[in-house]
Amino acid sequence: MRLADPAATLAYLSLLFGFLLVLFPVSFPRLIVENWQNARLTPIMILFTVSVNLGLYLSVAHHRSARPGIAAAACLGSVPVFVLAGLNFVLQATIVHTFSSSVPNASLRVDEEILAHTYFSMIAAIFAPFLIIRLTQQFKKTDA
Amino acid sequence: MVAFEIFALTADWMAAKWLLWIALYLIFGLFLPWAMTSAWTSQHRSPMKPDLKQLFQNGELGLISLMLSISVIWDLQRSQYSSYTIALGSVFMALAGMMAGSVWIEAYCRRTTGIRFRPDRAWRDSRNLALLVFSLALVTEILLDRFAKAAL
Repeated sequence: MRLADPAATLAYLSLLFGFLLVLFPVSFPRLIVENWQNARLTPIMILFTVSVNLGLYLSVAHHRSARPGIAAAACLGSVPVFVLAGLNFVLQATIVHTFSSSVPNASLRVDEEILAHTYFSMIAAIFAPFLIIRLTQQFKKTDA
Repeated sequence: MVAFEIFALTADWMAAKWLLWIALYLIFGLFLPWAMTSAWTSQHRSPMKPDLKQLFQNGELGLISLMLSISVIWDLQRSQYSSYTIALGSVFMALAGMMAGSVWIEAYCRRTTGIRFRPDRAWRDSRNLALLVFSLALVTEILLDRFAKAAL
């Protein structure tokens, strides 16, 4: 597994997020904020990122004619959940901090913070498991 | 609703700031080196036909990506986002930048020490990681642009 394998797919996902943001500057952010307010955003993102990760891993394994390992599959299934749950706590702390600091346009700022967090969390949840798998492979290679 | 979207899209010309930013990186990072190579081959009447793959076959795109990620981290640090968001964005830009930069480093080390080096692999890895860094940087700049308007 090389990090460049999932990088292209992640880049296309990131570009898609950017295009949606540019083409629907009002409705796309509102969709994200409303889903976050209804506590649906994190489960949807967990489902989405785990599916993308598994799809990516299987396609890379197929491409390299390698047998998918259980440890890697477990990593791909669990790391996005931990990352997204952890970053959700960070986002809540961010929102409390923004409202408590009595800055102007606090509500608009919070919406933008939710948008940025959603984007960075999506990238982190997809990239982190592959980074861990790659680093583990590197250490194994060094040990051998 | 559609009219409102179109209005929001076109009303503020500041929205084009990130377009200028992309254009600068594409022109100075990719097009200019290629144009200079073409100019050199034409001046020296060389039969070489330069293409991007040949020009960046040693993983140089990884180095460009590292520079790009540094500039976005700097923009994030200057923004009015909360410290958590700035830290999160900076860490991921730095990680992606370092991964892209490591392709160039690995290619350099392999070429220097004579350990098996595959230019096609260096090109493919650096191209994919450069695309990732570029897309991360682009969306981060769009988000920064939006936040700057919201914070007014």
